[in-house]
Amino acid sequence: MFLTRSEYDRGVNTFSPEGRLFQVEYALEAIKLGSTAIGVQCDEGVVLVVEKRLTSPLLEPSSIQKVVEIDSHLCCALSGLTADSRTIIDHARIETQNHRFNYNEPMGIEACVQSICDLALRFGENRSGGDEKMSRPFGVALLIAGVDEKGPSLYHSDPSGTYTQYSAKAIGAGSEGAQSTLQEKYSKTLNLLECQKLALSTLKQVMEEAITTTNVEVAIVSRDQKKFKIYNKEELEAIIAQL
Amino acid sequence: MSFNQDYISHPVFGQVDYFNKKNHQQPNQHTPYYSVHNHHQTDAGKQKTLDPIVTGSSVIAIKYNGGIVMGTDMLCSYGSLARFNSVQRQKQVGTHTVIGVSGELSDFQSLSNTLDDLTTDDFCIDDGSKLSSQEIWNYIARLFYNSRNKGNPLWNTVVVAGNQNGKSFLGKVDLVGTCYQDDFIATGYGAHIALPLLRKEYDDNPNGLSQDQAVKLIQDCLRVLFYRDARSSKRIQVSVVDSNGVKISDPIELDTYNWHSGEAAVRTFQQVALGK
Amino acid sequence: MNVLKLTPFPTQDKEKPLNHGRFEPYVDNGGTVLSVAGKDYCVVAGDTRMSDGGYGIQTRKYTKIFQLTNKCVIATSGMQADTLALQKKLKVMLDHYQKENGKVMSTPAIAQFLSNTLYYKRFFPYYTFNLIAGIDEEGEGCIWTYDAVGSHEKVKYSSQGSGNQLVIPLLDNQVAKFNQLLPEGPKDVPLDQVVSFVKDAITSAGERDIYTGDYADIVVIDKHGVRWEKFELKLD
Repeated sequence: MFLTRSEYDRGVNTFSPEGRLFQVEYALEAIKLGSTAIGVQCDEGVVLVVEKRLTSPLLEPSSIQKVVEIDSHLCCALSGLTADSRTIIDHARIETQNHRFNYNEPMGIEACVQSICDLALRFGENRSGGDEKMSRPFGVALLIAGVDEKGPSLYHSDPSGTYTQYSAKAIGAGSEGAQSTLQEKYSKTLNLLECQKLALSTLKQVMEEAITTTNVEVAIVSRDQKKFKIYNKEELEAIIAQL
Repeated sequence: MSFNQDYISHPVFGQVDYFNKKNHQQPNQHTPYYSVHNHHQTDAGKQKTLDPIVTGSSVIAIKYNGGIVMGTDMLCSYGSLARFNSVQRQKQVGTHTVIGVSGELSDFQSLSNTLDDLTTDDFCIDDGSKLSSQEIWNYIARLFYNSRNKGNPLWNTVVVAGNQNGKSFLGKVDLVGTCYQDDFIATGYGAHIALPLLRKEYDDNPNGLSQDQAVKLIQDCLRVLFYRDARSSKRIQVSVVDSNGVKISDPIELDTYNWHSGEAAVRTFQQVALGK
Repeated sequence: MNVLKLTPFPTQDKEKPLNHGRFEPYVDNGGTVLSVAGKDYCVVAGDTRMSDGGYGIQTRKYTKIFQLTNKCVIATSGMQADTLALQKKLKVMLDHYQKENGKVMSTPAIAQFLSNTLYYKRFFPYYTFNLIAGIDEEGEGCIWTYDAVGSHEKVKYSSQGSGNQLVIPLLDNQVAKFNQLLPEGPKDVPLDQVVSFVKDAITSAGERDIYTGDYADIVVIDKHGVRWEKFELKLD
């Protein structure tokens, strides 16, 4: 991939003669090193499942959080440099709360994703002057799941500031294998339980470790309740047992 | 028995102060006063029009079939003093618009410069499109509203008249940014004295006025204003804006009844000197 | 006892400017607006007189009602210049919202947004008294009524402006069925009845309030959109 790499990968403001921004492409590579996250959407809602890599038995599993709340109707799973996601999540939370303040209604999913991507594209800005915010692209990709008046939806956003809507999407280290499994098994007619099963079994397939209640996180967005929920240990146990 | 001292006129230097009233010499009631308001250090040297000083009186205008006639007198007063008696208070803006302005003369001159900048920029764009009367009217309204928001108003009432693509436009803007369009408009004293006359003539002619009718009406109104508005003069200008563009008349001296006592004020120096 | 004496020579510092009226940035251009919400519609009325702040009439054809969306109008009395600025701002922000959020702003969202907009100018307020009237996402008629700095309340009927005091008791009695010796309680009224009632109400305001008159805009908002009607009031 990087055979044509030259001096053009030093700055985020310079295209290579082939028309590429290497730093952005490297950032996309960083995501492929991250833990796997999978999202599956159906008419009833969206499921997000994420692998937690517990690199040491001494590590406290609950200190790693890979599914986070943006608003009560909006959550996201992340893969890549999780530290970078802090900035994004902070931004998204402020945007959704501002929307509630201004309009007394929850923010639309796509509008929120758009505002996240606007932020992601601000790399290379403010190089001079007081408030330098970003010197490089974010190294994190998000699966954003939520429900609004258009129903439940699943979006993927990446360091290039691009967003795309998906029925089912996998990101992270195991994404290639997982994505082909999803493509094979996904159908528009799945219900939420079946989606949950599909997502979890696909994740299990690409995980190196055995799946347990401590090394995965699961969240579902429900169309009827217009809310999302992160599964607790008991609920995780129940669904893992069904696999 | 006691006097209500409030009713006693203010004593003047050298006069006997019968009522032992604290002297507070007031400037001539009929002469305006420049007050410089420097509330903050940062405002130092910045003057605002917080009272009008040199003022023009009424503007009146009416739509007729095919255009608009607008009339003003040419007097600008300094308080009660008829200070400048040959000032043009109408101005052509762009290609088919004329404005008539009441109120502070200096603010009118400032507005003139702003509008000249606007039309020059529009000309330089050279795209074949010209600012419409409505656009100019709206621009003035925003300018006035924004100035009033800064507490620094342009102390004028502006009447905007235009004719473009066979349609007449007549609108008004005041110093706080109030703006509207109508078929006949009068500002200042004209709103009290001329407006009923304009309305009657307009309503009596359901098929609209002719240009001659409208010009005569405007002149008659200005004559009535001259009779009763002490800040008006009989030296007037009447502009016609129609499909041929804008035409602002040369100064006209109105015929009046035997009202010659104040004539010197409205005649030019030369006229007086030549004994005309 | 007073002693006669000459007045002293005036000193410079006692010289004061004329008793100038300070610049007054606000003008009340008067006018009355009112609105009644039904089960699946909303009727709004507003006169078209614009006064000069005193007894004078500036124009007889200034409409106080402004359409914001297909489901929502704003009716405003107070100062015309501020009204215009507010309407322009709302229009710009609504267009912006539509582009950002991919949908037209709902009537309840507009109601909240107007409150914030007014409150942001808390210390130099828009001198405007507003009604937001329309139908919500369920198609139900709804009205919000405001003061100049954004305090607001969701109501079933309201009125604002110079004829407000004349109209409100009428609405209390005839819409909410308050203060009746033989109580009957509010009920769903067909649209045409409400339209004719609203015309009576604005006519009555025009009869007693000198700032209200000339013509009235009668606006109906329902699932078919927004419909306008011109209605004559007295010109005196």
